[in-house]
Amino acid sequence: MSGKKKILVLALVGLVVAAVAGYAIYNKPHQNMTKAKADHSLSSTELFAAFEADEQAANEKFLGKIVEVNGTIQEVKLEEGVQKLILEGDGMMFGVICNLDELTDSHRDDFQVGEAVSLKCECTGLLMDVVMKRCVETHS
Amino acid sequence: MKIQMLALGVLMLSAFSVDAQRYFTREGEVDFYSEAPLEKIEAHNNSATSVLDISSGKLEFAVLIKAFQFEKALMQEHFNENYMESDEFPKSVFKGNIDNPEAVKWDTDGTYPVNVSGKLTIHGVTNDVSTTGEITIENGQISAHSVFVVAVADYDIEIPAVVRENIAKEVEIRVDVDYQELKK
Repeated sequence: MSGKKKILVLALVGLVVAAVAGYAIYNKPHQNMTKAKADHSLSSTELFAAFEADEQAANEKFLGKIVEVNGTIQEVKLEEGVQKLILEGDGMMFGVICNLDELTDSHRDDFQVGEAVSLKCECTGLLMDVVMKRCVETHS
Repeated sequence: MKIQMLALGVLMLSAFSVDAQRYFTREGEVDFYSEAPLEKIEAHNNSATSVLDISSGKLEFAVLIKAFQFEKALMQEHFNENYMESDEFPKSVFKGNIDNPEAVKWDTDGTYPVNVSGKLTIHGVTNDVSTTGEITIENGQISAHSVFVVAVADYDIEIPAVVRENIAKEVEIRVDVDYQELKK
């Protein structure tokens, strides 16, 4: 192979590798929640209390983090488009809303009010309640 | 005894009518769509909160930026880290009014067009906005729907030149909420 041809082949190979890598990055999958390691583990009442006491500090600690939260189910909503459990928070109206992971989509559908559960979720912050998303059940 | 029952009834009725003025939800749906020449981007959020006072028309919405779910992980990452900077600005809030609450017959089934105006805060920037929407009453249930457009530049969100063909300058936002009565 002549020098010119070699360069051409090398350039072509480089281009293909770059394209494949680019495509892979573009399509990189969402974090696998079942395998994800929890950054924090605490009860739903503790989590709610942390946000209620100092939202900014709680944001810095929990926002975007994988949090394992355990608590008593206050409300179950398993309808089309809305798949969530609300865990006990302030003991009254507000709690920790756990949106079940729509990407894993393998959760059981017999959650009961009053049942104690442990869920691993991504924490998104505080509105009226603490809102978690992509929750998967953990069995610890 | 009868008088006591009557008094209790009147009391409950008056308490009810006061409380019944306010409605809320914590599972409002807020979706957005960006259609640029190279890419269509959409994200969904079904944990928006909203409070509606039907006597004054006062209306509030709040949504957590990190709760938006994208189809592609990379888009979600860029949205949070590069554009919305959601660690620094975790929520978006709208505080405003239905300008014509008298146009809605709150106790009669139907769909009523409304004008809404107020202040919208995204990415730490607050702008006056106004839009139209619909209030639907069905069997006493109140729901609200609106579609409006937000210009990304109005909220100090910079789109780098390299991805200018991928992200639209104007993003469509759709809001759908079903209200519950706020009981104290």
